[in-house]
Amino acid sequence: MGEMMLEYGYGGKILRIDLTEEKFHIEKMKKSWIKNVIGGRAANTKRLLEEIDPSCNPLGSENILIFGIGPLTGSILPASAYHIVTSKSPLTGILGDSAAGGQFGAEMKLTGFDQIIIKGRSEDLIYLMITEDGSEFVKCPEYRGRSILEVTEAIRKKQRNHSIQVAAIGPAGENLVLFSTIVSSGNRVNGRTGMGAVIGSKNLKAIAVRGSRSLKIKDPMAFFSEIKKIEKAILNHNEYNKRYRMGTTMLMKDLNRIGILPTNHFQKGACSYLDNISGERLEENYKVKNKACFNCNLHCSRYYICNDHEGEGPEFEMLCSFTSRIGNSDLSFALEMTEYLNQMGLDAISTGEIIGWIMECEEKGLISPEEIGVNISWGEKDKIREIVKKIVYREGIGDALAKGAKKFSERFSKEAQKLVMHVKGLDIICGDPRGIKAYGLTYAISSRGADHLRAEPYFELTDRREEAKRRFGTEKAADRLSEEGKAALVTYSEKISLLCDSMTMCKNIGLCMDILNFENVSLLLKTCTGMSYTPEYLQKIMGECINRDRVLNKKFGLNSEDDTLPERFLKEPLSEGPTKGSIVDIKRMINEYYKLHGWK
Amino acid sequence: MIKIDLSKCTGCRRCETACSFFHTGKINRNLSRIKVIQLYEKGIDGPVTCVQCKERYCLPCPVNALSIGSFGQIIVSPTVCILCGKCERECPIGAIEIFDGIVFVCDLCGGDPKCVKACTEGAITYIPDNEHLSLSEIKKETEDMTPDEKRDNYIKKLGAALRKKWVR
Repeated sequence: MGEMMLEYGYGGKILRIDLTEEKFHIEKMKKSWIKNVIGGRAANTKRLLEEIDPSCNPLGSENILIFGIGPLTGSILPASAYHIVTSKSPLTGILGDSAAGGQFGAEMKLTGFDQIIIKGRSEDLIYLMITEDGSEFVKCPEYRGRSILEVTEAIRKKQRNHSIQVAAIGPAGENLVLFSTIVSSGNRVNGRTGMGAVIGSKNLKAIAVRGSRSLKIKDPMAFFSEIKKIEKAILNHNEYNKRYRMGTTMLMKDLNRIGILPTNHFQKGACSYLDNISGERLEENYKVKNKACFNCNLHCSRYYICNDHEGEGPEFEMLCSFTSRIGNSDLSFALEMTEYLNQMGLDAISTGEIIGWIMECEEKGLISPEEIGVNISWGEKDKIREIVKKIVYREGIGDALAKGAKKFSERFSKEAQKLVMHVKGLDIICGDPRGIKAYGLTYAISSRGADHLRAEPYFELTDRREEAKRRFGTEKAADRLSEEGKAALVTYSEKISLLCDSMTMCKNIGLCMDILNFENVSLLLKTCTGMSYTPEYLQKIMGECINRDRVLNKKFGLNSEDDTLPERFLKEPLSEGPTKGSIVDIKRMINEYYKLHGWK
Repeated sequence: MIKIDLSKCTGCRRCETACSFFHTGKINRNLSRIKVIQLYEKGIDGPVTCVQCKERYCLPCPVNALSIGSFGQIIVSPTVCILCGKCERECPIGAIEIFDGIVFVCDLCGGDPKCVKACTEGAITYIPDNEHLSLSEIKKETEDMTPDEKRDNYIKKLGAALRKKWVR
């Protein structure tokens, strides 16, 4: 018996590209292969586990890079436009992946490819022009050194088609900066774990997609009625207005208020100049309009114009990384950096971390300015500009900084190394775990290194005590300063997060706004794909997928000792503010978390 | 006619998906009679669809397959149409286009346009019996352009005016 065709939701095909041979090959996506991973991130991880040599050089031609989408990507589900890029990370040496919204995923859906798997290395700088028929390999030496927008517009113009969506790398990716990004829709970033460098190492400048195949729905009317419920839940949400106005930059004020806004590289949890750098200030002074991802009714993204600088964004992580985290009180400078980083293709969090780390180490005398040729203190704009540019072009000290904070720190004292805020080599996001314990647990266990998005336990910030008791067995799960119930919260949230990344949907909506649950996702998947999904089955397969991440990372050399946090968060309480006195009991949460997973 | 307010468009393309889904039960930009152009480098987004222009450039059809309906919408007879592409070439804004052997043009959904409902931002409105827009200025510069290039050109024009308000 032949495999059943994947007719609904899925494109049903896989595109394999060998850059060394300049060849492509189209395969069928098997229903039996995809059903228990759904698509997107979980499918990409499964593919990586099956096909990668774990010992490979992440920047060698043998590393593989996977673009993946899910059955609901590009459908009428709001915020369903996410695509995930997965590879062995050159920054961390373990599982690397990153999601981005915008428009790329929706267009990729129309090509009929659920996964695009790229291996090898091209001799010349090229871009891929992918349609439902396969891929063209287009030489583009003239794009070397070009920004994301320049490349995006050049490809659209050359192909005489403005519906083409482009995912490109900037100069940072070409120069193999280990925390470089892939950017699509002009400013939508696959930011973390250095996926840009993997593309750069393959001598690839961009991946362009244009499709004309239809996305078919198994039961359009039933699907539509589920969608209507979700749209309504978004529109009626108590955070709708705030998110519409400011997107995630609303968190500047929220986090500062509870004393967990990283300030001067996590030495403080609140900053005195918050009103100058808040989401409110950004909205008031520089926002010209709202922007949105494909088919979203929240429209939480924004377009800013500030002097000579403009673009879509910034989101909270970018904004905080270039304001309080590095002691800068000038919002217009942060916007200038937003444009520069997005167009050059550099991850804001990792870039902010390395700058902040140097500032703190120099302040404490752990590194002398002579050693690295940079003398920089908090918020020194000209010097920040100079360092970032040196990283992009790997000039002078920038060449070593391009390896990331953790690797760069290895030449300095133990004391200096301890101050790198990372887990598993990936730099920590902007949120001090001493005041958000479930986030602390998430950074520690995240399979791509310090990161909140693997579980995004935003629930602990919403003060819903009764709901906490009902869902996680204790009211304390809604108490941000408590360790109790946090393992249960994280094991729930990480499954919803993985569902978001696999079906695909935005985690701000699906998870933070608490819109998705196993019940409505099973209905969405069933009515869209025609395959049977129950809430219980979804929970089971998401658990299996989380185990798979761990199996893969074990092959990459990780073990359970790597599931921890930087010493600062375990031993040093903050000295002031609403999170004063609190440290993270990570051991307790990890033990409970392992127990819930049945891990040792 | 359908009226577009570019300053309110976020580029979400809900109008596109609603159009395609309502008419066909599927989602595909090519099946939509309204298509959003996104000028990433300028922050401009805008949907393009038939504006029932004063000139009705598409109407002179070699086989008379096109007519005007009671709402002012263009009606294409699929049995008469020979897919010569003249209407597609004549439209100055790329609002009528052949895909997969079918001519796609806005039919105003029988007077209740689905794109208007799908737009939560008020960027698309429908005003019956409104004065019709002239496209004669735009028409001059669109020879040899593909429908996609004509849409891009149209939104660039409208966008330039909006940019002046932003960058004062």
